[in-house]
Amino acid sequence: MSDKKVILVTGGTGLVGRGIRAAVEREGPREGEQWHFVSSQDGDLRDRDATEALFDKIRPTHVIHLAALVGGLFRNLKYNLDIYRINSQINENVISTSHKYNVQKVVSCLSTCIFPDKTTYPIDESMIHNGPPHDSAFGYSYSKRMIDVQNKGYHMQHGRTYTSVIASNVFGPYDNFNPENGHVLPGLIRKAFDAKADGNPFVIWGTGSPRRQFIYSLDLGRLFLWILREYNDVTPIILAADEESEISIKEAADLVVNAVGFKGEVIQDTSKPDGPLKKTTSNAKLRRLLPDFQFTPIKQAIQETCDWYAANPDKVRK
Amino acid sequence: MADKKIILVTGGTGLVGNGIKAAMEKEGKREDEEWHFVSSKDADLQNLASTEAMFEKFKPTHVIHLAALVGGLYRNLKYNLDFFRINSQINDNVLSTAHKYKVKKVVSCLSTCIFPDKTTYPIDETMVHNGPPHDSNFGYSFSKRMIDVQNKGYHLQHGCNFTSVIPTNVFGPHDNFNLEDGHVLPGLIRKVFDAQASGNPFVIWGTGSPRRQFIYSLDLGRLFIWVMREYNEVTPIILSVGEEDEISIKEAADLVVEAVGFKGEVVQDTTKSDGQFKKTASNAKLRKYLPDFKFTPIKQAIKETCDWYAANTDKVRK
Repeated sequence: MSDKKVILVTGGTGLVGRGIRAAVEREGPREGEQWHFVSSQDGDLRDRDATEALFDKIRPTHVIHLAALVGGLFRNLKYNLDIYRINSQINENVISTSHKYNVQKVVSCLSTCIFPDKTTYPIDESMIHNGPPHDSAFGYSYSKRMIDVQNKGYHMQHGRTYTSVIASNVFGPYDNFNPENGHVLPGLIRKAFDAKADGNPFVIWGTGSPRRQFIYSLDLGRLFLWILREYNDVTPIILAADEESEISIKEAADLVVNAVGFKGEVIQDTSKPDGPLKKTTSNAKLRRLLPDFQFTPIKQAIQETCDWYAANPDKVRK
Repeated sequence: MADKKIILVTGGTGLVGNGIKAAMEKEGKREDEEWHFVSSKDADLQNLASTEAMFEKFKPTHVIHLAALVGGLYRNLKYNLDFFRINSQINDNVLSTAHKYKVKKVVSCLSTCIFPDKTTYPIDETMVHNGPPHDSNFGYSFSKRMIDVQNKGYHLQHGCNFTSVIPTNVFGPHDNFNLEDGHVLPGLIRKVFDAQASGNPFVIWGTGSPRRQFIYSLDLGRLFIWVMREYNEVTPIILSVGEEDEISIKEAADLVVEAVGFKGEVVQDTTKSDGQFKKTASNAKLRKYLPDFKFTPIKQAIKETCDWYAANTDKVRK
C-alpha cells in the first residue's frame, strides 16, 4: 500500500479549492489520503511564523498551493506593487516551509493571464517567460511566474518535485460573481439572475463572438487530484478544455439563460468592446498524458453552477 | 543652497563601490553630499531588522544599491535557488526600507547577463524582460529583473523615484581576479602577473577574436554619480562605452601584456571555446543624455588597474 498522504490545500475555500473538494468527495475518500482545506482563518500566509505554525500543526506530506491575493482589473492597476510583494511573500513562505517540512510535492496554481502580452496562439507551457505580461496586472503576473522559477531552483538544488498548473476561465460554485472584478461566465450568471429578479433585460456586452475555453471547477479539481498523485514534472502543465470545446460568449449566455430559466429580454450591447476573438490555450501536454479524460459537458456544468447559485444566495460572493 | 544629500552605498566595498568612491574623490567632495560606503559588516541586508537599523543610523536621502550575492558560472549553476531567494530578500529589504525612510532615489545595479538568452543585437534597455535569461544563472537574473518590476511598482503606487543601471563588462581595482569565477579582463590580468612571476607562458583561451565593451570602474562611478544626481526615469539605463570602442580579447590581452611589462611567451590556446563573438549593448540612451561624456582611454584604464594590482597584492581578491 502507498504511503499515507496528508494534503494541505491553501486557499482551500475559494473557487478552485471547492472544486478540488467536490472532486475528492465525488470520488469518495481514498485510504491513506487525509485532506485539509485551509483559508486565511487558519493562518496568515504572509507571516512566516504563522505559516510554520500551520505546517507544524498539520504536518503535510503534500501541498496544493492556491492561496493568493488576486484582484481583478481595477484593484490591480494601482496596487501592482503590493500584489507583487504580498504574493511573493506568501509563495516564499509556503514553498520554503514546505521544503523545511520535507513536503514531497507542492502543486501551485498559475493562470494564463500571466503569459506574455504579445504572443502567438495557441499558447503553451513553454511560453510563460517569453515576454512581459499585460501591464494592468504585471505585479500579479511576475509573482506567479517566480513560482515557476523557484520550482526549477528547488529541483536543481534540492531535488524537489515542486510544480505548477496553469488554469484559466474556471467557473463553478463559490466563484466571485461580482461584475466589476469577477470573470466573464460568473458575470453572465449574475446578470441573468439579477435581470430575472428585477424584470430588466439581460444585457450581454460586446458582439458575443469571442470564443473561450471554459473549465468547470469540478473537472479542474479532478485534474488536480491526478497531478497530485501522478504528475512528476516540475515544469507547468496547462489544464484546459479542448480547443473544439471552445464556445462563444453568446453561446455561453444562451446556456445561462436556459439554466436560469430567464424568460425576459436579451440585449447585445455592441458598443462595449469585445476583447480578443480567440485566446486559445493548448492542452496538448495534458492530452498526451490523459487522452481519455472526459470533461463535464458545458451545458450540465453551467446548469449545476446556476442551481448552486439559486440555492445558496448567502454563500454567493458579490 | 541645495538640500544636503546623504548617500548610502550598499555593497560599497566591491569593484563598483570602489569605482564610485574613486570618482567621488577624484571630483572632490561636494559640500551638499555626505557619502557612506557600507558592506556586510555594517548590516546583514538579508535581515530586515538589521537593514532598518542601518537606515535608522544613517538616515539616507539617496541609496545606491550594489549589494548582491554574485557568483561566477560554477557557483551559480547548482545554487540558482539560493541566488534567487537571497538576492530577492536583500532587494526587498533595501527597497521597502528605502520607501519607509522616504529615500528620494534608489539606484540599483543590474547587469547585461540578465538579458534574454535568445536575443537580437545590439541589446537595449527595452529588452530586459523579452525572454528567459541564460539557464546557467537564471536565479540571479530573475532576482535582478524583479528589481526593475518593483521600481515600476513603487513608482505607480507611491510615486517613488527608484531606478536602475545596466553596466557591461566592468573592470578595475578591487575586482575579483579569481580565474574560476571572475570575469575575462581581470582573468587576463591575473594570468599575466602569474606568468610573469612563474616564468610560464601567458595562455589566452580561444581565438581572441570575440569583441567586448569594457567599462572602467572609475568611469562607471562617474556615471553612477550622474544618475544619482540627474537621471529621473524609473526605467533602466545601460552604462557602457559605444560599439565603436569594443575591443577584441586579443587586443585586451596585448594591452595587459604592455601594461604589466610582460616579456615572456604569449600562447593562444585555440582548443578552448570562444563564447559569443559579439554581445553589443547599445549606449544610445546614455549618449542622448550625455553626448560629451569622455570615457578613460582603455589603454590608460588597463594600465591603472595593473598598477593597482601590482601595488596591492595583499588586497587582491583571488
